[in-house]
Amino acid sequence: MIFFAILLVLVFFAQIIELFIPPLDWMYNAHIYIVPIIVFYGAMALPFPLMLALSFFAGLLLDVLTMQVIGPRVEIALGWSILIYTVLASIMHGLRPLFIRGRWEIHCIMSGICTSLILLSQYLMITFRRGSILFTPEAWWQIGGPGVIAMIMAPLMFWFLHTIGDAMGNPFLPERESY
Amino acid sequence: MNRSSIVALLILAAILGWFLSFGAESTRKLQAGFYQLISPFLTTGSDLEKQITSVRTGLKSLEELERDSNNLRVENRALKATNQALRDVEREVNRLRLALAYRERSVFKLVPAEIVTRDASTWWRTVTINRGKQDGIEGDMPVVTDEGLVGKTTTVSESISIVVLVSDENCRVAATVEGTREQGIVVGERVAGALTPLLDLNFVSKQANLQPGQKCYTSGVGGVFPSGLLIGAVKEYRVRELDGQARLTPAVDLSKLEDVFVVTGRK
Repeated sequence: MIFFAILLVLVFFAQIIELFIPPLDWMYNAHIYIVPIIVFYGAMALPFPLMLALSFFAGLLLDVLTMQVIGPRVEIALGWSILIYTVLASIMHGLRPLFIRGRWEIHCIMSGICTSLILLSQYLMITFRRGSILFTPEAWWQIGGPGVIAMIMAPLMFWFLHTIGDAMGNPFLPERESY
Repeated sequence: MNRSSIVALLILAAILGWFLSFGAESTRKLQAGFYQLISPFLTTGSDLEKQITSVRTGLKSLEELERDSNNLRVENRALKATNQALRDVEREVNRLRLALAYRERSVFKLVPAEIVTRDASTWWRTVTINRGKQDGIEGDMPVVTDEGLVGKTTTVSESISIVVLVSDENCRVAATVEGTREQGIVVGERVAGALTPLLDLNFVSKQANLQPGQKCYTSGVGGVFPSGLLIGAVKEYRVRELDGQARLTPAVDLSKLEDVFVVTGRK
């Protein structure tokens, strides 16, 4: 539980830090996202109920910090990010046996893909609400760019989180023997 | 799937259903409450960001000094660094003096505010400012600088507010073009590849023939933005099937915002 609490704290601070990281103008204003990597690591390192709790927390934070309420309209209603995080984290959780066996490559790649999928689903919702489908190269960069960055950052972040998990004696990882 | 997983899933589904049933007002209240809760983190983060930027600027000037005069003694270097710091202060004083002058000559009641965070997400162009209800700020109040229109407030908590920028597709502003009777609606781009994106002035007549450089002001229609605030200048004009559309360069460099004013009323 200590490790779970640490992940919650890390998600909170990562979400705050994200607000201060400027977009990359050389990548068509793509943003850097740290929270998805932590959540997707948690999806593999934690059991299902705690993974749900972590996804819920991350989705709630993302919603309240970024959702746009203009007049009587909420562009993406509170709860959608929780749903997106939960679905994607559940997919990552399905790859847990491989992770426990010590194979991290797929998960690093999947972290990037899932980060892009979060942005793609947000963009599709916006497009649906505002009408007129626009998929410009800039849009693809802003969807794909953060995914590529997440993929690059994932090994380092996973190693960092795994080290913390080991130090805290994360009780959920020693299932290794059963696989 | 064991029992605890099923229970967790059911609890999550119930909370999710409850959240999804929230209306705009409940959502705004929750968002304002949350922003209020984390405002100490945001202001601390903003201060840290400013310090880091300041240190980076300082390092740059030291590098320049080293390039210019490798043989200067340490005392000389320190004096130059002090001079640089004083110049920074002077620049800051000038900037604030300009802002103060604008506040005094403006016909509006203005509440000065500093930007705390900017561009929190990929798809929405918003900034947060360090003023809220306790400073008399409410939702849907115009936000300006001495250069022109910045946007309007949306969610307002006690000490922090969210401002949707004029470059966001959801911030629609009724506008008029100088020297003409043309009126239209200014909207931002959905996806912008540049830090300062262009704006679209839609629904002007096909005969408008707007020229580059013509200025575009708020028309006052709609009730949120008072008339006469500079939005931007025409960059190009094109005729579409049913109307004319102009691309505008925003009057305010939205990527370099530091201080803004919230219009709370007329003097």
